[in-house]
This record gives sequence, C-alpha cells and structure tokens, in this order.
Amino acid sequence: MCETSYTERFWEALSDGRFLIHTCNDCEERFFPPAPVCPSCHSWSVDWIESNGTGELYSFTRQHATADGFPDEIVAGVVELDEGPRLLTAIDEAYADLVLGDRVRVEPREYPHNYDRGCRSEYPFFAATTIDGDE
Amino acid sequence: MTVTRTASVAGIGLLPNGTYSIPERELAIDVIHEALEDAAVSMADVDGLYMPSPRPWTKQKFFSTNLLHLLGLEVDRTIEVSTGGTSGGKAFQTAVSDVRSGAVDTALVFAVERNSVIETTGPYFDYILSTFDANFESPIGMSIPGVYAQSMQRYCHEYDVKREDLAEIVVKNRDNAAADPDTLFDKPVDREAVLGSRPIADPIRLYECPAPCDGGAALVVTSDDGDGSDTSSETEGTVEVAGLGSHHAASHLLMTRDESITELPAVRKAAREASRDGGRARDEIDVYEPYAPFPHIEAIITEELGLVDRGAGLEACLDGRTAADGEFPISPSGGCLGRGHPPMVTPLYNYVEAVRQLRGTASTQVLDANYVLTTSEHGHVNGATATVFAKGE
Ligand SMILES: [Zn+2]
Repeated sequence: MCETSYTERFWEALSDGRFLIHTCNDCEERFFPPAPVCPSCHSWSVDWIESNGTGELYSFTRQHATADGFPDEIVAGVVELDEGPRLLTAIDEAYADLVLGDRVRVEPREYPHNYDRGCRSEYPFFAATTIDGDE
Repeated sequence: MTVTRTASVAGIGLLPNGTYSIPERELAIDVIHEALEDAAVSMADVDGLYMPSPRPWTKQKFFSTNLLHLLGLEVDRTIEVSTGGTSGGKAFQTAVSDVRSGAVDTALVFAVERNSVIETTGPYFDYILSTFDANFESPIGMSIPGVYAQSMQRYCHEYDVKREDLAEIVVKNRDNAAADPDTLFDKPVDREAVLGSRPIADPIRLYECPAPCDGGAALVVTSDDGDGSDTSSETEGTVEVAGLGSHHAASHLLMTRDESITELPAVRKAAREASRDGGRARDEIDVYEPYAPFPHIEAIITEELGLVDRGAGLEACLDGRTAADGEFPISPSGGCLGRGHPPMVTPLYNYVEAVRQLRGTASTQVLDANYVLTTSEHGHVNGATATVFAKGE
C-alpha cells in the first residue's frame, strides 16, 4: 500500500516535465526538498514554485564502488539551483567532461537503476546535464 | 541535572581490530570482562549500561536486555544509541552525565561490531543508501566515500590545496598505527602507495578510506568524589573525563544550505563546549584524537579546533606540526585511517587511546600528555561530539 505524502505534488509535476521547489511567504527563502515548514525562519506559510532547473555544478564525483542494481560507475554531484537551494543529483555526463561551476540543468528522466523506489517506482527521477553558459 | 561529581575512567578493555568468527555478544562479554578487571571493579558494582545500537545486520536485537540477563546484572540506567558514528560518543557522554549527576555510580560503556559478516555491495550498501533522503537521494546510489569525495574536491578547489599532498595525512596515520598490535595494519604506507591505490570515488583512493573491520571496546566510568567508594585510584593513574560537548548542524550528509561543505561547524561547536566544560582552551590541548574518516577531514578538523587558519590544516601536517612529536599531535593512534574502522567502536577507541596517552602507555606516546581531546561524528560530520580527558591528581 502506498501512502500519499507531502511530496506527491513534486513527483506529479516532474512527470509533466516541471521541477518544483518551495518558497517561504515570510522570508522568501527558496528551499528543497519541499516540506511544510521553512528551514530558514520556521514559518508554516510556504508554497510550491516552479524552478527551470538551471544552476551551477557545486561538486561532483565518479563512484567506482556501487550497490547491486547500479552500473559499475556512476557520476553524481551537488547542483546549486539559480533560485538558491542545493540538491544532490545524478549527472548524465562523462566525469572527465565536468568542471566545477559548469552550467547545468536538472531535468526529469526515466529512472534507470534496479533499485526499489517503493511508491515512487512509477514516476520519473531526475538528472543534471551541462548546458551552454548563457542559458 | 547539575554537575556534582567528577567522572573518571577507571578501566579500559579493547579487542584488536580484525576479523572475529564469534557472535557479537561473546565479543561484548570478553571486552567487558577486560575493562572490569582493569578497573578492579566487580560486575555487581555496575549500575548503568551504555552502548551504541548494534548494526542492522547484527542477529541479536534487544542486545542490552539480552546481555543483562546473561550477565545477571541489574542496573538503574540502560541506553542503546543509534546515530551512526556518534552513537558510541553519545553512549559514553550519557554515562558520564549519569555518573556526574549521581544517577549511577559505576557505568559500563561498550561497543562491539562485526563488518566481516556482511556483503559490501548488497545489504551493507542498501543500509548506506537508506541513510540518504529516501525520496530524493537514496535512488541516486551514492556511497559514503562518494559524499566525502565531494568535500575533498571542494577543499582542494576553495583553498588551492594540492590534492596529492592529502596522501601525507594517511602516511602519518598509518605510520602512527604500524607498531600497535591492536590495529588492523602492521605496515606503514608511502605517498606513492596511497596515490596508486584504486580509485573508490574520485578523487578519493582506497587507502584514503577507513578500512571496515570487526572490533570492540569497553570503558568503566566511576565517580572520584562522592561516597568514598573511589575505585579508580586503585589502578595505575586516574583519568578524568573533564569536558563534554556536542552539536548537530541543520544539515544532512552533503545538504547544507548556505555554508560550504568544507566547514564542519558541528566539530567546532562541540569542541568549544567540551573545552569550556573541561576548563582548557580547545587549541591548548596536548593530544587530539579526532574521528576523521578521510584525510581532508582531519585537515579541516585541525582548522575547526582553532589550531590553524582555514585552508592551512594540510600544511600543518606537511610541516610535521601534527606528528606525535609535533606542536599539536593529531591521531597518534592512527585514527580510523591507521587503525581500521568499526564505526560503532571508533569513538570508544579514541577514548581508550586518550586513557593510554594519559597513563603513559600508548603505542605512539606523546610526551607529557596531560589533556586529550577526542571527537566522534556521523553523516558528513553533520553531528559531532567532543570529549576532553585530563590526567588525574
Ligand atoms: Zn522563511
């Protein structure tokens, strides 16, 4: 049985190609993951907003030891979205092609690994790709 | 509760890091026996039992309850802590607080762990994945070295640190541990061997990761003053637990908000509190035994302790200032990189090392050691404890 959670709306929107984050109506903090309370001022007046998913590559790694159900190597990192929040994300690029500060876009994609996402298994996941500097 | 008594470590026990083919509870009984003998305390005197929760793959659940029955032990306090690498630290600090307050007189703290019984790519990795945000992060497949690889990358980037030089921290720690028969390795490594070991998560190499293994440790904590039943003075040299500190930042693994992942505020704040409590400034301690699972983390902790400026932690090692005979010795035991690393036990190994340093019986002994500061941490150092030990009168 799958419960309906607060983040349901994120996954529904992601299925439609939109990346949702949260904004605080009191202090204007933008944050991720979505939660009913602002982590900056602790206001409960928060809303969903759409991010265009663009940002900068804050850090990244190529992992050579991976879990069962994953390829032998994975590339992942932290992206700082233009709106402010950082998130951990898979990266759909070759490790050798990446540089800190690269412009990237976090976008929905079909989940590729054999890992049990439970209630979210029918939804897409997300990954970052590099984009041109002026985007 | 207010502090009314001084807590001291009356006895220590330690199982050498390695591989054990007996159940955890038998390891526990062995190491508890050793600590009680060292403290010259009888089992019947123990009135508090403190431990990290066994790892999820340990067969025996309700571990402390099972053990109390086996040992025929009635106690006023028990606790099993489950916060990753700080579990042992919090178990110990709870014991110290209970002894200080008078809730218990003789606290027994122990940790046992076997990593040799679990497949690293299967159930162990599943457990690691489950420590990330289950919704948004676990499906990415990130490992713990994968997390620390990114702070190593940022550290080199932000402070223009030469990545290859970080290997020297591993060289120092392996060297410190080499002569100690209780540690996993009996040979040192050189810089080339560290940098030539296989990549685990770029830029981190195998020898820069703490090696998982089996082990166990136990400490008996008693009160010095109080009712006159001071047992610790019967053993060689009393070791006071002088200061306790603890802090958790509003972060989870790599997810900080505005702060750089190259800063470790939990260590900074925990160490500050422990120093204040222990009456000794955090940069005026004789020996440091931090829980530093990767070389750049030891460098950053050196900075967070106020010993050097930001970005200068590695240089302090390269200049020999962190060596056992240096200006501020760091990890003379070898730390988790030199000793091997059962994370539930590592904080207790740090305490055992502190006691040995203050008794003058450490394998890599620092001369005239009167104060030792230790830390524990979990996640990407999101939470930390700091504990100051002092040589008794
Ligand atoms: Zn707010």
